[in-house]
Amino acid sequence: MSIAVSEKHEISLEIYKFFADYIYNHSGMTYLEKDYYRLETRLRSLVKLFELKSVNEVFDLYQGSVTPDMHAVLINISTNNETYFFRDIVPFKILTEYLIPNIQETKAVGTINVWSAAASTGQEIYSILMSLSEKYPDLLSKMTFEASDISCEALDKAKLGLYNGLDVQRGLPIAQLMKYFEQLSDENWQVKQEFTRKVNFFKFNLLKEEYPKAKYDIIYCRNVLIYQDMPNKQLIVNKLYASMKPGGYLVLGNGESFIGLETKLKRETFNNLTVYRREP
Amino acid sequence: MKVLIVDDSKAIFLMVSQMLEESGHTGVWAEDGQKAFEYLSGNNDIDVILLDWNMPNMNGPEFLEKNLTESFTETPVIMMTTENKPANIKKALSLGAVEYIMKPFTNDILNGKFELVDGLA
Repeated sequence: MSIAVSEKHEISLEIYKFFADYIYNHSGMTYLEKDYYRLETRLRSLVKLFELKSVNEVFDLYQGSVTPDMHAVLINISTNNETYFFRDIVPFKILTEYLIPNIQETKAVGTINVWSAAASTGQEIYSILMSLSEKYPDLLSKMTFEASDISCEALDKAKLGLYNGLDVQRGLPIAQLMKYFEQLSDENWQVKQEFTRKVNFFKFNLLKEEYPKAKYDIIYCRNVLIYQDMPNKQLIVNKLYASMKPGGYLVLGNGESFIGLETKLKRETFNNLTVYRREP
Repeated sequence: MKVLIVDDSKAIFLMVSQMLEESGHTGVWAEDGQKAFEYLSGNNDIDVILLDWNMPNMNGPEFLEKNLTESFTETPVIMMTTENKPANIKKALSLGAVEYIMKPFTNDILNGKFELVDGLA
């Protein structure tokens, strides 16, 4: 059986399956049979890159000895991902240059509690830790770090701090990879235990569960509100507000705002990024 | 931006060129460190160098060492290689590479690395 892609050239299911399996085994990216059409353009681009005549010849090539460069080319053209370390950069600059100094100014003593409320696979909370470690190494022992997500699968990955070679290249300067990660195998890197141990990871549904009261000094809740309707947005914002300490800050995603919502949180702007503060 | 792609694999050169073109940049090919050195000796139009590790004639580290002693170019060098052991990464950085791309990578990683290098973003 084969999927007809044009009258002249057909790519057999055997070939699709071979490449789908290869890509899955090496990158975790899944191409199900119904997605094979997305693989087609990628296989055709391999024909061009290797200056061959057909996908069958590419198949023959990869059934032989796969050189590191052949491997690289195939994985390069097959994967796509949206999770980054230091995503958007400014939210992490603002942490060390604005939020921490302001909190320290209004806060005599005590622990600074940070919550990454939509932690996904952990890049955000580890970026927060790396930023603080660079600028405020002595402060880390006086802080707590929590990270939650609705997805257990994402949290499992976050807890381990385990990332593949593509993950650790997204947004992360090489100097920080060397400093804060250990290489476990050719394709896997892990955040050093001194960091993974600092974070309390837990499953949390922002809409349904009860939030702690007046606990957090800094909450990152990025790219959550954008996917919610107005009533849900209002619900989450009210709950976030109640969970913040007086003087605490809330960081939203780029392009997210409280337009149309009621809140007592005050807007503050730094480096063109708006953050929200509960009055001290 | 004009990018010198120093790699003995033509498939890699073609793929990276295509990635660069999608972002409005241009790729120039040098098959090894020696060819890259020759190109840079006669041309002053490269904004950044993407340098493979394993190549015939002059490999990536040899190219960096030659530049350390002769200072023939001030153009920033980003390693782009399958060599991903921390010891190798540290070696390349100590020899003057400013960033490091581990193969395989994607277009967003390539552009992200450019953003991390001063003066390229």
